[in-house]
Amino acid sequence: MNETTTDVAAKIEALEKSLAMANTLNSEIFYWWCTALMVAIHAGFLAYEMGASRSKNALASGIKNILAFAFIVPTFYYVGWWIYLAFPTGLTISEAASAGLPWSANMGPNVSDHASGVFYAAFTLFAATTASIMSGSAIERIRISGFTILAVILGSVVWNLGAAWGWHPQGWLTTKFGLHDTAAAGCVHTVAGFFTLGVLINLGPRIGRYNADGSINEITGHSMPMSLIGLMLIVMGFFGFLGGCIIYTADGWTTIYNTPTNLSAFAFNTLLGVAGGMIGTYLVTRDPFWMMSGALVGVIASGSGLDVYYPGLTFINSFLAGCVIPKVNDIIIRKFKIDDAVGAVAVHGFTGIWGLVSMGVLAAGYPNIEGPAVSLMGQVASAIVFVLLGFIPGYVFSFALKMVGLLRASPDAELVGLDKTEVPALAYPESHIPAFAQPEPHVSPAE
Amino acid sequence: MNTAPITTWEGVEAYFTLADKPATLMIICALGVLAGAYTLVSMIRHENACYNYTKKKH
Repeated sequence: MNETTTDVAAKIEALEKSLAMANTLNSEIFYWWCTALMVAIHAGFLAYEMGASRSKNALASGIKNILAFAFIVPTFYYVGWWIYLAFPTGLTISEAASAGLPWSANMGPNVSDHASGVFYAAFTLFAATTASIMSGSAIERIRISGFTILAVILGSVVWNLGAAWGWHPQGWLTTKFGLHDTAAAGCVHTVAGFFTLGVLINLGPRIGRYNADGSINEITGHSMPMSLIGLMLIVMGFFGFLGGCIIYTADGWTTIYNTPTNLSAFAFNTLLGVAGGMIGTYLVTRDPFWMMSGALVGVIASGSGLDVYYPGLTFINSFLAGCVIPKVNDIIIRKFKIDDAVGAVAVHGFTGIWGLVSMGVLAAGYPNIEGPAVSLMGQVASAIVFVLLGFIPGYVFSFALKMVGLLRASPDAELVGLDKTEVPALAYPESHIPAFAQPEPHVSPAE
Repeated sequence: MNTAPITTWEGVEAYFTLADKPATLMIICALGVLAGAYTLVSMIRHENACYNYTKKKH
């Protein structure tokens, strides 16, 4: 049977449609599973912070993580996604923002839109990750209510404003300064780390952390193994996070800045970064908690250039960061008396700066699609913007909460333990942990 | 100083930042090996020191 030209044309058209739909569905599926993998980051933060708490505060620490996740999902839906779409040019509202309004046709079931839901979901998980970075530093004395308010401000307002500015194809930090920050070392890690610093200054150290003469007491968590497993889960979740940093198009993979890349480039550099950070922190600390934090240091330190670094270069860069960042943490804790319970200011805030600046040193000259080429000055200027964007709201909002008595738990509650004070459950009901001398569950005054 | 091995993304395939010349590639690889080897030596020295300390103590 001879096919007519019309038949062939119809078949080609059908095949093209089918191919386009396959691409669309592949993209949708890819971000769906990236989001699922990112949930492992939250399982990780949950375990890691509970383990880093004394047993009398284990559940209260976990509640913070659960609530941060739970509150960020709706707040990012109502305002967070809109903020990201609205402000790439600074503080003027872009036309594209209307797609992020909760009453937009894109923000609900819509069979013609295969992108908005999965992108919202991936960004929401980024947001929850950002808030979780603050969470661990403030354990054992922050009020859960105050923390939840701060988590929403950080996760659904501040970091995404930073992302609009510097992790967006038209973000002004890229179009003006040539910022290149592929894996969000700036808008996620630097912003969250310095927001945390602002909070910790107002929050103050845990009771007993510092002596009157300025010397320091170690306050160890009740389960280092739990913390280590948690940190390894975060590393696993990073593969979802980093996958979510890549844009899937019909023509191939690109970075958020529309420059070409692929998962292979990310795979080489993610693994070499993790290994370099682990080895560097082992060398200077011998401490497994720091070795696993070093894995995060390694990825963040090379995060800005994860798409362009030669893997051997990533290994060295991350190794060096792993050697330096624990020392930065020592300075924060010992010299400045900032009680950062898990080292998040150093691991995320300062390593984020390392990542941004090292991109300017190691990979200056890479062309951007929009804006000037990557430069050291552009990376440094962007780092300063991210530091201020994190620190100022962190300090101001935590100060306001402190003024109204919502920032810190009462001294009595802190001494007795937040679990016994406000959690109607026991972490270890059948064990004989000294902190639970009277292991009956909490009964609230209303009961 | 520009260190990027490319000036445009048109037609780019492999791009080895700072390692686009044999000499720099070898230096970067050697530094990586050195970092690993130094850490291993340091690990052994740390272990030996700890074992000796424990032996003296007990």
